[in-house]
Amino acid sequence: MGISVKNLDFGYADRRVLHNISLQAAEGRFTVILGKNGSGKSTLIKLMAGLLPFRTGYIEVFGRDIRKLTSAERARLIGYLSQFHSPAFPFLVEEVVLTGRASYVFSLPGREDLRKTDEAIDKVGINHLRQRPYTELSGGERQLVMIARVLAQGPQMILLDEPLSHLDLANQARFLALVKNLVAKGLTVVAVLHDPNTAFFYGDDFLFMKDGFIIGPEKNKDPWDPSTLTEVYGTKIDAVPFRGRSLVIPI
Amino acid sequence: MKLSFKEMVFYIIPLPLIVASLFVGPSNVVNARDIFDWLTRSLSLSPAPDAQNKQMVEAIVLGVRLPRVLLAFSIGSALTVSGNSFQALFRNPLVSPDILGLSSGAAFGAAIALAFPLLPLQPMAFVFGLLAVGLSYFLALTRKGVSTVSLILGGIIVSGIFTALLTMVQFLTDPFKLQTIVHWTMGNLHNASWSKVRSSVLPILFGIGWLFVLRWRMNVIALGDEETRAVGLNPEKEKLLILIPATFIASASVAVAGMIGMVGLAVPHMVRMMTGPDNTKTQPVSIAFGGTFLLIVDNFSRTITSFEIPIGIFTTLIGGPFFIYLLKKSLMVYREL
Repeated sequence: MGISVKNLDFGYADRRVLHNISLQAAEGRFTVILGKNGSGKSTLIKLMAGLLPFRTGYIEVFGRDIRKLTSAERARLIGYLSQFHSPAFPFLVEEVVLTGRASYVFSLPGREDLRKTDEAIDKVGINHLRQRPYTELSGGERQLVMIARVLAQGPQMILLDEPLSHLDLANQARFLALVKNLVAKGLTVVAVLHDPNTAFFYGDDFLFMKDGFIIGPEKNKDPWDPSTLTEVYGTKIDAVPFRGRSLVIPI
Repeated sequence: MKLSFKEMVFYIIPLPLIVASLFVGPSNVVNARDIFDWLTRSLSLSPAPDAQNKQMVEAIVLGVRLPRVLLAFSIGSALTVSGNSFQALFRNPLVSPDILGLSSGAAFGAAIALAFPLLPLQPMAFVFGLLAVGLSYFLALTRKGVSTVSLILGGIIVSGIFTALLTMVQFLTDPFKLQTIVHWTMGNLHNASWSKVRSSVLPILFGIGWLFVLRWRMNVIALGDEETRAVGLNPEKEKLLILIPATFIASASVAVAGMIGMVGLAVPHMVRMMTGPDNTKTQPVSIAFGGTFLLIVDNFSRTITSFEIPIGIFTTLIGGPFFIYLLKKSLMVYREL
């Protein structure tokens, strides 16, 4: 099992965000979490990435208790891609990607780190950007740079928090094709996505969240079943058959 | 690692500059020719016997100018490296030891030590410098993090408070000490001596060495807290590891030479303009160019008029307009401020 969460509760100061979450994301699969804004998806994915401390519950990554990992061990197992950000300094793309190697470096990155950085840049196909300042790139290009950074980090699993939110359609397709490709090569991916249609076409497994609970999908039921989605998003949703699956639309 | 031609120039220039700076000074008794002769003879390049004024030349070159040149260079390096580190640490190209209130805090600590000779100068400057930076940071801290402008505002407030406290110390001490404190506050190198070099060079070398080791990590930190944590470093711990030596070297400079304003802000920018933001390059170039910069300014400050203008006045006059320019430019770039 790639990652498994058991009976996880979480809240900020006065507000409970997650209630008794239990889930599993299989190794080598692309698992997508869907749900309304504010349903706790981003918090859940940060907890799974080991970026937030929690008290109640249990998270296991490739069979290891996430709380017993050192930061460096954790970074070598789990990569995390946050939402859009903008650094204050115009670092070059290759310098940004290289920072993914932080958990392997004491003072200066070595030859191995530079090699892994080159590999990651190749894999993502952004060789033409490597000498450009990160701050001058478009949202789509930045997202590609950040995924190269995660790959340079060399984790066995990648967690993505709404990776498509700043990308146009072409870049979305490119990004998802890249993710699919990585999954095919054995990487485990868990992503929070906004658009159920994109999710159903690219994802392998699905999880629905509502108000801090995991509410589905039920076994033996298609994830794109309109009644389930109507419940998840709290708005009337209909489905249209398309290539053996369904496209869903709010009506 | 490949060195570009530009970088080579930065690393080579300090040595001839330091030697040349020994020739610069207001003495009427000893001129450049005397020093040159003395140098060539000392280095056994010339067979001529020692000149009559050998002792005088040695007193001026070795006793007065050399410590001053070394002090100017090391303080220039320290303030630049400190400013560059703070800018990476706070992800804010507009901060520096002065802007964060560090200089005023350290100056206040040092003034107390000057007024009450029982207290140790260096540690007092360091403790109050650290306190000032900490206060500025916590004043600026909100749930959403620390914004560029709120950190500057926090620094202005803290700076104001410590300047007021400093004035109070000046007001309450006796006139003789007052003069010492006022002169030193202006940022001065004219009473440089070997004892000052000894008391400041070791802490500065130590702090710069520490920050030099961490120079690549500053690239990681500069990308953001969450990005730092995601790649396996603890941002709070890393920031503290940078904050302490950066405060240490800046307050050591303040303790020995007073407030030499704006060097920590302006020079790191000049360095980044030449090398780009990669701290594996900016940090070594900051050491070389920061020292070079302050040494050149000091050479002007001790020759341009017949009396000596405190160097802090010079650097602030150069740096002030530069800061306004940067502020305008970055406000245009970062709309969310």
